[in-house]
Amino acid sequence: MVKINQNYKIKMEKITKSFGDFLALDDVTFNLDHGEVHSLLGENGAGKSSLMNVLSGIYAPDHGAISIDGKVVKINGPSDARFLGIGMVHQHFRLVKSFNALDNIALTINQTSYYSEKDNLRHKILKKMDEIGFDLDLDSPVGLLSVAEQQRVEILKVLIAGASIIILDEPTAVLTDEEAKGFFKIIRFLASSGTSVVLVTHKLKEAKEFSDKISVLRNGKLVDTIIPGKLDDEALIKLIVGEVFAEKPQLSKNFGEEKIVISDLNLHRSNHAMGLTNINFKIHEGEIYGIAGVGGNGQAELSTVLMGLTKLNSGSIKLAGYGDITKFRTDQRRKCGLVFIPADRQKYALAGELSVADNYAVASILRGDLGSWMGVKKLGKQQSILEAIAEFNIYGVQRLNQNAALLSGGNAQKLVIAREFSSKPSVVIAHSPSRGLDLKAAAFVHKQLLTARDGGAAVLLLSEDLDEIMLLSDTIGVINRGRITAEFSSPADRQIIGKAMVN
Amino acid sequence: MSSASNINKRKGVKLEVRDPMSFANKFIVLILSIFTGLFISFVILILSGVSGSALWKEFVVYIVTSEKNLSSVLIQASPFVVAGLAAAVAFRARFWNIGIEGQMIFGAIAATYIAINDVGPEPTRLLLMFIAAGFGGVFWILLPAFLKIKLDVNEIISTLLMNYIAFNFLLHLLYGSWRDPSTGFPNSEQYDVSEILPLLGWQSLNFSSVIAVLLVIILFWLFMSSRFGFVLNVLHASSDMARYTGIRVSLVILIVTIVSGFLSGICGFLVSAGIESRMTQSFFIGFGFSGILISFLARDNPIGILVVSLLFATLVIGGQSLQVFYQIPFAMVQLMQAIIVMCVASSEFFIRYRLIFSF
Repeated sequence: MVKINQNYKIKMEKITKSFGDFLALDDVTFNLDHGEVHSLLGENGAGKSSLMNVLSGIYAPDHGAISIDGKVVKINGPSDARFLGIGMVHQHFRLVKSFNALDNIALTINQTSYYSEKDNLRHKILKKMDEIGFDLDLDSPVGLLSVAEQQRVEILKVLIAGASIIILDEPTAVLTDEEAKGFFKIIRFLASSGTSVVLVTHKLKEAKEFSDKISVLRNGKLVDTIIPGKLDDEALIKLIVGEVFAEKPQLSKNFGEEKIVISDLNLHRSNHAMGLTNINFKIHEGEIYGIAGVGGNGQAELSTVLMGLTKLNSGSIKLAGYGDITKFRTDQRRKCGLVFIPADRQKYALAGELSVADNYAVASILRGDLGSWMGVKKLGKQQSILEAIAEFNIYGVQRLNQNAALLSGGNAQKLVIAREFSSKPSVVIAHSPSRGLDLKAAAFVHKQLLTARDGGAAVLLLSEDLDEIMLLSDTIGVINRGRITAEFSSPADRQIIGKAMVN
Repeated sequence: MSSASNINKRKGVKLEVRDPMSFANKFIVLILSIFTGLFISFVILILSGVSGSALWKEFVVYIVTSEKNLSSVLIQASPFVVAGLAAAVAFRARFWNIGIEGQMIFGAIAATYIAINDVGPEPTRLLLMFIAAGFGGVFWILLPAFLKIKLDVNEIISTLLMNYIAFNFLLHLLYGSWRDPSTGFPNSEQYDVSEILPLLGWQSLNFSSVIAVLLVIILFWLFMSSRFGFVLNVLHASSDMARYTGIRVSLVILIVTIVSGFLSGICGFLVSAGIESRMTQSFFIGFGFSGILISFLARDNPIGILVVSLLFATLVIGGQSLQVFYQIPFAMVQLMQAIIVMCVASSEFFIRYRLIFSF
């Protein structure tokens, strides 16, 4: 029997997990104390998610032992994990959008009768909300709630199920700075009342500010566990990526002619969906126009309107060399050189069940390359695709005909960018292009956008990450409730932009 | 493990998600499940009084050894193949065309109209019937296609209901103006020789087999190597991604429905001009639904459709013998089809999961 340290809430010892030849977790030992917030840092594919999936019963480890409160346990599935008090809040919420919060919570707990215990449950939830200072409408469909509110539903789900260990996967990826602050207040409160929290994150700042301990994973190994404040940023980054690494702003040197001019765009929407009101801006050749704003203020609508995916009610889009393209379909706009990196790459930019080669080649094939209408070339060993994969540093591709679903977030995004940039773009529309990516992959994405800009493209960058906007943009617009409410030239003041975003 | 909690003691069968299966393994699972379905069917037939040796003879020996039976199977298989292709082309774009039967009826009605009114010169009569049949099928799918594309009306419902309209319209014709004047039976008059698909010179095998094989080849090319086939793959995998990359999804769906309707119409033509030599009310014995099942079993692959159609045709021909010699109802054949389909559908489970027994 393993020697057990009674002091720890959870001990994961010598956990190893492999997928085929790939070693996702290599002899990882991870301890979680009572009432602590413990951050897990690491790049995409470092093993953070795998480790937490082992803990929440989604993966069975090849080797290793887990003990909770000093007892060795075997977690054979998510229901076992729940039974043991482990709750996970996934980055992509597991909510039934058309149900209200109450029903979503009722779904996850074992009740004897839904109807007779509904009032009971409501009381329980309200009491919990009161205790931790949540504010939430339990009766409207969660699809209509803001992302932050949906996250609260997820947290309530695990708390009501009686979790004493909460795993949070990238919880602030979807929150504004303000919302994130409130969120961590609640997390700290939960910790102080004895709940142990694992925080999986990419953001050094929040890991340092809000956690008691930081563990760093790299290539499936646990590199070190440290107390925040003991190391400076540079040392911490070195732990994560294995080298020192920081991005610096590079403003454009070759502003050209006006490339794309957007005048008086209006999009009417009903039922809580965001519309657009009198949007006016222009982007020059060789310029990155950054649109800052809290998520859900019209960014997705603006990007899809510009790509011709959403029909607008009024306004015009003029593109240098093509004139008015307002009436153009998506395929016609793409022929004019517009390319698009949508925010939700898994849903809109990639088809997981198609091969890497197909996902890459779709743009070329639609352009008429790689064979004629009579016969598309065999893609499995196509040299141009192999070269693109090498050029864009896409890792994890063993064969070109493997499914794109197997790529990790960063590599999936690199594949999208490789495809979109496979012909020279004239206008790049990028919506949250580095969401959920690690430092290295994000820097790579940024470099690609800068390269496109320096090649004379007009780049529209819509991002909820203000740091990213500040880093890349030559001009910054602020979007708020479907309007562009302010515009700044770089370098601009972060505080003022931040204020414009929420006013 | 002495202090392990009680959940460790849980015993029995457990599921584990498998790694994605290779194509070869999936193929083996498919074949095994078809054989499982055949085995269960034969057990049921044996229980209803047919001896095992009789089954062996009727479904294998007499089919392979008798040229006449073999040619019957091939004739029976042709409309199955084309109905399967009609289903496959629609399914590849995730347009669930359940209305193949109705489109077949309208294909046959159009062909019969040409035949009984002697439209055009005799040498080109069959060609004209062929084309008319195709467009008859297209005519019957255009409304559901339009409703789907413009108003997002569920095509499963609309195409299904169009079947009933087509069938009742057919009855209206056969009991009305198209009733055979010489016999008074509710079917059209017999086609002239120039309106019947010519024999190939071996047994009763006729030109419908040639048409079926040609269509298999054309669709194999369309799906596997043409640019349009690639677009269909993308659309099948993710219509969101297709739209975002600039594929004109509505246009693709329109083309796909036209091709599917055309093939269904041709299928009706093969039945009327290739098997029955007239328009009858009883010859639609579920070809449309068989087409859907065949395409499902063959994973929308044209070559697979050819193979599965031969299997289904064998079941039908063997079943006819059982009906005559052993008084087994013909519904038994449909039962066998259904069992095979259920076995294959259940096999999906084993492709995705692995069972782990712990006792």
